[in-house]
Amino acid sequence: MKRPSNHFFIVLLALAAVVAVLMSVMTYFSATSAPLPNLAGIIASPFRSASAAISDTFSRWTGYFTEVDALREENRQLKLQIAEMEETVRQATFDREENAHLRNLADLREQRRDLHFESARVLVQDSSNWYSQLTINKGSAHDLKVGDAVVTEEGHLLGVVMETGSNWATVRTILDSDSSIGSLIFRNGGSALAQGDFALMSRGRLSLTYLGTEPDVVAGDLIVTSGLGGYYPSQLVIGYVEEVKTGEDGRAQYAVLRPEMSLDGLTQVYIVTSFDIVD
Amino acid sequence: MLPKSYVVFKWVVYAIATLFLCALQSLLLNHIRVLGLTPFLYPVLPAAVAMFEGSRRGTVFALLFGIACDLLLPAPFRGFFTLIFPVAAFVAGGVAERLASRGFLCALIVSSLGLLLTGCFRMFVQILSGGQYLALMARITLGEAALTLPALLIVLPVYRMIFRRCAADY
Repeated sequence: MKRPSNHFFIVLLALAAVVAVLMSVMTYFSATSAPLPNLAGIIASPFRSASAAISDTFSRWTGYFTEVDALREENRQLKLQIAEMEETVRQATFDREENAHLRNLADLREQRRDLHFESARVLVQDSSNWYSQLTINKGSAHDLKVGDAVVTEEGHLLGVVMETGSNWATVRTILDSDSSIGSLIFRNGGSALAQGDFALMSRGRLSLTYLGTEPDVVAGDLIVTSGLGGYYPSQLVIGYVEEVKTGEDGRAQYAVLRPEMSLDGLTQVYIVTSFDIVD
Repeated sequence: MLPKSYVVFKWVVYAIATLFLCALQSLLLNHIRVLGLTPFLYPVLPAAVAMFEGSRRGTVFALLFGIACDLLLPAPFRGFFTLIFPVAAFVAGGVAERLASRGFLCALIVSSLGLLLTGCFRMFVQILSGGQYLALMARITLGEAALTLPALLIVLPVYRMIFRRCAADY
């Protein structure tokens, strides 16, 4: 076999460099997805849908045999949880009426949370060793925009739309090391930043940073979105503090967060396309 | 010299086989997690094709496959796979041409090279962008390679069958 010359390889590598630069430039200057990735996403959509359908069917089929014991235990736990929550709801109903009465007396605006959702199906979970991303089957044709928050069916924050094509979008999950979400410690209203961390990603965890000089955060604290800046809705559940650690510098503290969302068996997600919140 | 239509047919069969192997990654390998790591088959594919078809044709295949991967897969930047896959294929083809047999051992060597080159390039990009955790990245690169190489038991027979059938027909 004739061996290729270095000249051939250099020409090919130069061609590869030109293609790479063109793709990067097109992506950089495009508000949504660049034309080529958009076209590739459209072409790949039917294959991805078929692949997702096969994967779901297989998971469901194996689930019948492997998840019975786990489901029984979960059912028992949920019954206990429902009993506790019924008590909480009774108290909340009373509190809400009192709150409405007091707001009326103080002439305050009524609290409101109007979130508009678009449901989408997960086509591909690109949860490789380096990224945590999803591809979903809705895109700019369905009013999805870069930066829209994405939640699970339980309403837990899953991630943020990072790229949109016509009929597809890529979602960066909160575990991804490039993810960064303004957060609140629900117990005391302290602000922080929930950030994806490369070292924690493989364990399915993220970090809570910028806790201030005297952080008041303990294991078990609920962390929600702050809604500051108006980018994401407030009060979306991110997760719970698992442990509080001291950084490598020996001074700044950070917390390890266990997210409430789970990527296992995730098939359906909801995108918050618009919201109007009055707190 | 092979007729042009036959050459086209051969590469269409390679493309279909590659699509099948990508589906394998998406349907099966993406769901395997060992110590928090997942196999990553894509760098193995151009290296394996280059092993059978030689550096020149393998590198062209790798360039096109890299473009497709860049359009559909997450990467440090768009163009990442377009740059590294041809390099990996060229190296793989060169190594395979120096080895006597193009069997499993050869495939193991060229695939390892493909995976390591891709991993090292990823680390290099991370260093340039001020990334941390280089030791962790090195561990992931090695773990990913170790976890992916058993998939050669599927990749190798598929490409070998295409290569042998085409060689046998002509």
